[in-house]
Amino acid sequence: MSLIGERLGPTCRPPILSMGPAVHRRIAEDGRVMASSSSKPRLGRPMTAFLSVVCLVVFGSPLASGSPDGTHPPAGMVTVPAGVYQPPFRSEADAKEVPVKAFALDRLPITNEDFLGFVRADPRWRRSQVKRLFADANYLADWTGDLHPGVSAPMASPVTQVSWFAAKAYASWKGKRLPTTAEWELAAAASPTRPDGENDVEFQREIAAWHSAPSPGRLPAVGGGRANIFGVQDLHGLVWEWVSDFNTAMVTGDARGDAGLERRLFCGSGSQAAKNPSDYAAFLRFGLRSSLQAPYAVHDLGFRCAQDLPEFPVRLSPAP
Amino acid sequence: MKTCLASLLALGLVMVLRAEPLKTTAVTHLPPCCRAALTTNAPTDRSLYLLDSTWTSDVGRKVKLGVLRGRPQVLAMVFTRCESACPIIVDDLQRIQRTLAPELRDRVDFVLVSFDTERDTPEALRAYRQQMHLGTDHWTLLTGRPDDVRELAVLLGVNYQRDARGQFAHSNVITVLNAEGEIIHRQVGLNQEPAETVAALAAMSQAKTGR
Repeated sequence: MSLIGERLGPTCRPPILSMGPAVHRRIAEDGRVMASSSSKPRLGRPMTAFLSVVCLVVFGSPLASGSPDGTHPPAGMVTVPAGVYQPPFRSEADAKEVPVKAFALDRLPITNEDFLGFVRADPRWRRSQVKRLFADANYLADWTGDLHPGVSAPMASPVTQVSWFAAKAYASWKGKRLPTTAEWELAAAASPTRPDGENDVEFQREIAAWHSAPSPGRLPAVGGGRANIFGVQDLHGLVWEWVSDFNTAMVTGDARGDAGLERRLFCGSGSQAAKNPSDYAAFLRFGLRSSLQAPYAVHDLGFRCAQDLPEFPVRLSPAP
Repeated sequence: MKTCLASLLALGLVMVLRAEPLKTTAVTHLPPCCRAALTTNAPTDRSLYLLDSTWTSDVGRKVKLGVLRGRPQVLAMVFTRCESACPIIVDDLQRIQRTLAPELRDRVDFVLVSFDTERDTPEALRAYRQQMHLGTDHWTLLTGRPDDVRELAVLLGVNYQRDARGQFAHSNVITVLNAEGEIIHRQVGLNQEPAETVAALAAMSQAKTGR
C-alpha cells in the first residue's frame, strides 16, 4: 500500500500479476537461453536462472524473444534482414518509408497440424469453446470436430478460418508474435532471386497468376512454393495471412479523422495515390486488410509468426 | 534472535489483521479501476472483460479491464499529446456525462485508454487528468502494452497508426459498455450530439432495473 502513497486507499485491489502459461514458458526458455549462451558464466546456472526469473517477474521484460546470439533464427524461422517498407498508400502525414528492423519469420504458414497442437494445449481455442468475442461462427468451420481437422483440412495444409485473436493467441503460445504489415510486406516483396521482387517481372507474373486463379477446394500442403531470397515460402500463392496491425488502414492523415475513410484511396484516383500501380497484389492485400475485423474467420486466410531478434547479442561473460 | 523473529511475525500478523477490516471502507477518491470489483463470476461470451491484458492506471495500479465490471462504462481511445481530435473526444465524453440524468450520472463511469504506449506513462496520464478536469469519482485513465492496445482497438473498431511525427492517426469512436462489458452502442465522429448515446445508457439502465 505504501508503494504508491496516500492516494491509494485500503480498498485498492492488490496488483494483478498475470503469469499465464506463456509467461512461465518464456521464463523457462530464458533460463536455458541465458545459461547456454554463456561459456564462462560468472554466476552459477541456478543463480542466473533465478535472477532472470526475478527480472521477468519484476520488470515483465520479454527477454526470451529472439535467438541467443542474434545471428541464427529459431528453428523453423528465417531471418529477414532490415529493410524499408513503402506503403502502397499513405496520407500526407504518413512516413513515405517505414524502416523495418531485421526479424525472424516462420519459413512456412501455420498448418492444421500445428494448430491442432495449440487447441489441444489450450481448450479455450477449440471450436466449441471459443468466445464469440474472439472468433465468429466460421471459426475452424472446415474442421470436422474440436480436435479433428478431417479431410477438408489436411494436416499439412495451412490452417485457415482462424480469427486474428486466435492467430495472436497461437503466436503468443509459441513465444512469438504476428508480423506487422511492414514486416510481412517486406518479406513478401522479395522474389526467389532478389529482395526487391517488384522489379522481377517473372515473379510479379506468378503472383498475378495466383490472384487470378480460383481458390482450390482443398488447400495444398505448405512448402510447395519456391523460397524467396530470404528462405521464406508460400507468402504468395497459398493463403492470405493475418498481420498484427491489420487495422491501421483507412485512417485519415491527422487525428481529426472520423471512423474514417481516406477518400483519395478510393475509386478513380485510387491507383494514382498508389506507390506502384503495377503492384496489384499489394493493392489487393491492402484492400483485404482494411475489410477485415478481428473476429472474422475467413476461408483462405491463415497466418505465420514472427519474432524479434535481439538488437545486441546477449553476452553474460566478457569477451576474451 | 528467536524472540526478535517471533515479535516480527506477531507484528506482521497484527498488520494483516488490521488491514483486513479496512478493506470494506468506501473510498471515493480512487478512480473506478482501482476499487473493489463488484462481480467475480465469469464474463459473458461477448464481454470485453474476457481480455486478459493488464493495464496501468494513472494512479500507478496494474489492473485488468474486468475491474470495471458492474457499472456501465463509456470508453474512448486517445493520446495525451493529441492536439486536435482527442480534446474534442474528451469534451464529447464530458458532454455525455453532463447530459445524463442525475441518478444515472452517479452510476456511469468513463474510461480513456491511450494509444501512445511510449509517452503516456501513468505520470503523463495523471497530468492529463488534472489538465482535462477528470474527477477520480468516475474517470479511469489507462495505459498498456502495444499489443494489448492494438487488441482493445480492434475490439472497439478503432483503427490507428502512428505517423512519422509520432502523432497517431485514429478513428474517433466512443463506445458504451454495459455492466457486463458488452458493447451496446457506438458514437462515431467528433462533436456529435450526445442524445443517442445518453438514450442508450438510459435504456440499458431501465432494462436492468425493470422499470
